Amino acid sequence: MTTDRTTRDPRAGDLHPGLPSAAPRPGAAAWLALTVAEAKMVARDTAGLVVPLGMPVLILVMNGLAPGLDQVIPGTGGRTALDVYVIPLTLTLVVAMVGVVNMPSFLAYYRRSGILSRLGVTPASPALVLGAQALVGVAQILLGIALALGVASVWLGASAPARLGAAVGVLALTIAAMYAVGLLVAAVAPTPGSAVAIGLTAFFAQGALGGMFGPRQNLPDALETLGGRLPFGAAVDGLSAAWAGGAVPGQSLVALGACTVVAGAAAGAWFRWE
Amino acid sequence: MTALVAQHLRKTYRRRGRPPVVALDDVSVSVAPGEVVGLLGRNGAGKSTTVQLLAGARAPDSGRVRVLGLDPRADRRRVRGVLGVQLQGATLHGALTVRELVRLYRSFYRRGLDPDRLVERVGLGEARDTRFEQLSGGQQQRVSVALALVGEPRAVVLDELTSGLDPEARRSMWALVEDLRADGVTVLLVSHHMEEVERLCDRVTILDAGRVVATGTVPGLVERAGLRPTVTLRTDDPAAAGVLARLPVVGQVDARGPRLVVTGSAGPAGTGPDELLREVGSALARVGVVATETHLRRPGLDDAFLALTGSSSTLEAP
Repeated sequence: MTTDRTTRDPRAGDLHPGLPSAAPRPGAAAWLALTVAEAKMVARDTAGLVVPLGMPVLILVMNGLAPGLDQVIPGTGGRTALDVYVIPLTLTLVVAMVGVVNMPSFLAYYRRSGILSRLGVTPASPALVLGAQALVGVAQILLGIALALGVASVWLGASAPARLGAAVGVLALTIAAMYAVGLLVAAVAPTPGSAVAIGLTAFFAQGALGGMFGPRQNLPDALETLGGRLPFGAAVDGLSAAWAGGAVPGQSLVALGACTVVAGAAAGAWFRWE
Repeated sequence: MTALVAQHLRKTYRRRGRPPVVALDDVSVSVAPGEVVGLLGRNGAGKSTTVQLLAGARAPDSGRVRVLGLDPRADRRRVRGVLGVQLQGATLHGALTVRELVRLYRSFYRRGLDPDRLVERVGLGEARDTRFEQLSGGQQQRVSVALALVGEPRAVVLDELTSGLDPEARRSMWALVEDLRADGVTVLLVSHHMEEVERLCDRVTILDAGRVVATGTVPGLVERAGLRPTVTLRTDDPAAAGVLARLPVVGQVDARGPRLVVTGSAGPAGTGPDELLREVGSALARVGVVATETHLRRPGLDDAFLALTGSSSTLEAP
């Protein structure tokens, strides 16, 4: 025991020479590498592409075949019920499904399998991992929506939104809000199974109140008001207004923005590596 | 100055509906800069918990952790930049190839090793374009070692470095640790492979049921465990046992038929294995006793481990 080299220790509190003085944060290169890695993971898992790419087309076609949708809504520049009601609902449904249900279950699987705990002992921060995931997910959503709108305009005679800029803006805000909710679900869910359960609950609750199963006007007043202030209902209202050419309700924008900020901050604070 | 320090760590795992499990109870481990220290223990002894606390992946209930003088919880990013960690059984992005994974992890660090050369160095040159999920267990293990080293860390924690590796791959990993030592990298090697620890480590800390039972060099641990060398030999001469028992270097002689088991004497001076063999041989020669099948047994780390931890307890905790 005389060779014990720690006998000259005890000043363990001192910093070692040659340590970087500032804490270097992994930069753009790391973020890009992680995003490319996530994209490869998704692209090489073909089954995972069915929901974001196939579902929007399916929902739009199923809804678009209902009778009476070719009825022109007055004061919208010749847009039909399909344009003003079905398309906004479908787009919101897709974003909510991928953002609130799909993405958190993927992240929860990462956590369960140890991928996140491994990343947690590297300089990669939670924000880096979440950001890469979100970006790849958004790319899938946009691809899915583009495909759905393409099919709708060719076969169902759908029109472009009357206010294109407003539609793009509301869609972007919707994606941000739904992803924030999804990240919060991933942050608090203890297991992959519970991530799906919590995600589906959040999805159906706001969907039911937001007009997914029928007009929101049929709900009791209090629930109708609440539904319009949850991201799902707010997104449908906003997109519908943009397609019809009206002013996007300020209340929808506030609801989506507030949801993004609050849920996003909570997700960042509560995120765990394992 | 110490590179890795854990002082008086206590960690209790609480789960609803179950009694709390004390994973670590007053555990202290230290590794000096450039030193290779082994952390040895059975499954469930608290090795992996110690690793997680050192890496800052979990917080101790009480106690203090320092990595190159930094608190891994408070100064997370700086510690992650200089500490390489190989976690036991960590899964990685399964659809990525070996090369893609090593490059990905390289991008997290400001400076580091060349990914392609590192892949060659851990013996995965031919598997570099194979997806992680298609690798064998041993190959996956080597990827995780590569990822721990790609940021050119100043200190490394290797958890079960060679579990699941064939003897040849194991030796190449041992050579890698020798290279780390030559480069002055501080290494904490978590293992239950005695030969590995005995061969690579300057010092060893033995954990048992969440407590440190001993820390020291391998010869020091053998001495502390009160282990003595033995010489076994075969002779037909009935006088041999009496002659040997009178030697001062001999503590005990057991006769088992024609076979004698001669144990070295105890005490602080103790009898070295070579000294025992020499004294036994010359004593027998002086009285003209012919002995055959003479065999010297030096007590090793495995004997010391069993003696210090009690050999009966082989229960595996969760």
